Amino acid sequence: MRALALALAFGCGLAHAQNTPEALALLNKIHQATQKLSYSGTFIYQQGNRTEVSRIARIADASGGTEKLEVLDGVPREVVRTRDGVRCYLPASQTVKVERKVERTGQQREFPAILPDRLNELPQYYAASRGAPARIAGYDCISVVLTPRDDLRYGYVLWADASTGMLLRARTVNEKGETIEQFTFTQLEIGPVARDKVKPKQAARNWRIEEAATTPADLLREGWTVNADLPGFQKIDEVRRRLGESLVVRQVVYSDGLAAVSIFIEPLAERRELLRTGMSNLGAFNIYTREVANHLVTVVGETPAASVRRIADRVEFKRPQ
Amino acid sequence: MNEKISERVSDLMDGELDGSDAERTLSVLREEGAGRQAWRTYHLIGDALRDHRVLSVGFSDRVVAGLAQEPTVLAPAAAPVAPAARAHSWRRYLMPAAAGVAAVGFVGAVAFMMPMQEPSLTTPIAQAPQVKPTPAARVIEPTPPPVPLPAATDDYLLAHQGYSPRNRLQGVAPYVRTVSGQALESKR
Repeated sequence: MRALALALAFGCGLAHAQNTPEALALLNKIHQATQKLSYSGTFIYQQGNRTEVSRIARIADASGGTEKLEVLDGVPREVVRTRDGVRCYLPASQTVKVERKVERTGQQREFPAILPDRLNELPQYYAASRGAPARIAGYDCISVVLTPRDDLRYGYVLWADASTGMLLRARTVNEKGETIEQFTFTQLEIGPVARDKVKPKQAARNWRIEEAATTPADLLREGWTVNADLPGFQKIDEVRRRLGESLVVRQVVYSDGLAAVSIFIEPLAERRELLRTGMSNLGAFNIYTREVANHLVTVVGETPAASVRRIADRVEFKRPQ
Repeated sequence: MNEKISERVSDLMDGELDGSDAERTLSVLREEGAGRQAWRTYHLIGDALRDHRVLSVGFSDRVVAGLAQEPTVLAPAAAPVAPAARAHSWRRYLMPAAAGVAAVGFVGAVAFMMPMQEPSLTTPIAQAPQVKPTPAARVIEPTPPPVPLPAATDDYLLAHQGYSPRNRLQGVAPYVRTVSGQALESKR
């Protein structure tokens, strides 16, 4: 009954809720386009009653490309991603937040266990089907509908340019069939982009720099038992890093290939502000906070509250081995 | 005047007075007078009709046992009195109403006699008939209300976003969620 409701909510009948090879092929095509295309454009991000317009530009090259996101509404900010990592420019607080790629000896290019590596596994947790075509920002788009097979994850509808595979609209849908988050391009140009479009506008001279300084960690050896215990969710990383100015936290990340959940563990003693434990929500994110063995455990997930809560409840501390 | 106060005592016993009216009537009952006289008379009528000159043996034990059977509501909400229940004035339906009234009279005494271990004591006994007794005491866990976003939400989201599979499909675009205006503004 629930599957039926979900299928109807996604605008397709049960008969179409089967996995179609074309649907998965489109998903792969979108991924390829994200890696290979240069483009610049404007998109709208909607979440709850919040709407923000951003400018985006990407230059594809052999080294992995350079991208810039500039948020035009509300609090100004810029995010620049290069092969070295991500830099967030926040003019209001004159801060640059730096997330460098973790140096790993003899390991894979990037984090494993997420798209496209797990594309073939995806149908176990999501029914993938072709959705209705649409015309978006002047592009004729085809779509893929990803309907979760349980209530531990959200559903997605993605629209991509039929010829290039460039993603033009992405929608996250909850179990009631309501849109909880949406990205839509209003203007897009695919093709060569001038260098200065991916450079930060902010000189950021004398700004405060907050380095994540991420290093690999082994939580089990430190006494922490963290277990997603959710079907399809695999551990993709385990690190120690800085959060904000000085706070050092442990972070473990799980993903089912389409959604990810992070578990942050930090000593309570370093917290100055009033601690509020419980569930909070921000669009497609649910954030659950609880106290374990004098530590603050914060689970941040692009998943329904139930799965975020389940992961948080599994966190345990035992004597370090 | 006397007629008026007895009317109000009657209404009080029927649970038909709201907060301030009930309070005013109860304050009258603190003093010896027509109000208290009416209170005693009405209770006597109820007891006499049930052939209980005094309360039956083991009454308080039964109340305690009844409380133990009640489901424990962790966040009790004020259950509105159903209109049908209101219509059943104690004068018209003396038997069941008198039992309820007796229970109301006793809950105070029970509260003093029993160690405060059961949160169910915070549930007004007058609501008890509306809740079906269950074989064993059980806990109903209400969904707790959402809490405000943690102060460091932006930092958590940024730390998380690098791992999001969405980056593989949308490039840097999903970072719009990490340094969200909403989270930043809620901090101010």
